[in-house]
Amino acid sequence: MKYLLKNIKKELNQHLFDYLILITAGIFFLVSLNLFKGEKLSEFVILLIFILFYIVWGVYHHLTDKSLRLKTVLEYILIAFIIVYFLKILIQP
Amino acid sequence: MKKLKDFVTHLFVPKEENNFKGKALHIDFLTYYLVFALVISIAFKRMGANFSNVLGFATDITVDKLYQLTNEQRQKNGLVTLQYNAKLAEAAQKKAQDMFAKNYWAHYGPDGSTPWQFILSSGYQYEFAGENLAKNFLFSQGVIDGWMNSQTHRENLLKPEYSDVGFAIVNGVLNGEETTLVVQEFGKPLIASVTTNNNNFLPVPQAKAEEIKTQPVKTEKSTIISQSKTQPKINLTKVSWDINVIFLAFLLFALALDFYFAAKFNVVRIGGKSLAHFIFILFVFLGLIFFFTKGSII
Repeated sequence: MKYLLKNIKKELNQHLFDYLILITAGIFFLVSLNLFKGEKLSEFVILLIFILFYIVWGVYHHLTDKSLRLKTVLEYILIAFIIVYFLKILIQP
Repeated sequence: MKKLKDFVTHLFVPKEENNFKGKALHIDFLTYYLVFALVISIAFKRMGANFSNVLGFATDITVDKLYQLTNEQRQKNGLVTLQYNAKLAEAAQKKAQDMFAKNYWAHYGPDGSTPWQFILSSGYQYEFAGENLAKNFLFSQGVIDGWMNSQTHRENLLKPEYSDVGFAIVNGVLNGEETTLVVQEFGKPLIASVTTNNNNFLPVPQAKAEEIKTQPVKTEKSTIISQSKTQPKINLTKVSWDINVIFLAFLLFALALDFYFAAKFNVVRIGGKSLAHFIFILFVFLGLIFFFTKGSII
């Protein structure tokens, strides 16, 4: 557990601003979902905005980290769209 | 046993053989997940379109379950249970169809129609009557929880004066969006109506009407997905919910393990950040658990 906490702390210290943006966006995502509860289309749009934000965040983060590779971008895109297609079954059946 | 252990380690623990990243998080595996998600997304959509009347695809809400949960809440609060009334169910059905036909989401229609008109036109002469509405919930429990968490709906559901209840669950297009409406009509029959059957009285509505929200009228076809009291044979909503929860939990587990072992073995690598993926998926998971299954009530 100490390795985990040590590494989280290290990662957060190195990129505090980036992770604060990500967590803030996540909170906005949950608040927006609560506001538009029951509106399927709005929920789906909110999800899409969060997903697209995440891809942009990933590119920005690795750009500032000087570790941006095509494979890395692909990883963010894949994770984002896996989530979209799984949740699409529930949100827009 | 050793093979299984090696396989699991290969999937989740970063080491030289998997290029210092759990195989479950490699690009090729992520592509498989995406293909799987695409396939089940298309398959479920097709099944929903072709078998919606049989399978109850759009939601897991049934009249039977709503009736059972409503009476459970009343019993918990020391009230008499309600009798299922076919006339109130017919009124609920008419109300739901009226909302789709006139494209509104309110207790009162844009033309001034009231819930009481639907109840009376179904042949139920009442002394007390009330109405609860819900839309776009996925599960019956969510609908009842939503009503119980709202003071006015809770009061309606737990009103001691009521003796009968009827439900309608109707699927259609409202404001251009596929919608599942749940209408719950309460009532207590007017004893005099049994002998006189006189319509010339002023009913006393018990439900609090909300502000009328009207939209431009569009004529969209509504489809009844469930009015029977039986449980669908295959519950696709539950299946898709389970798939989502299991898959997101699996991804979170894989990312947590990958991050832990990468930290423990001090692995330095180029690629996506497991911590970032974990935070992102955690927010989506929270959204799934707390909001995506919830609808709105009035």
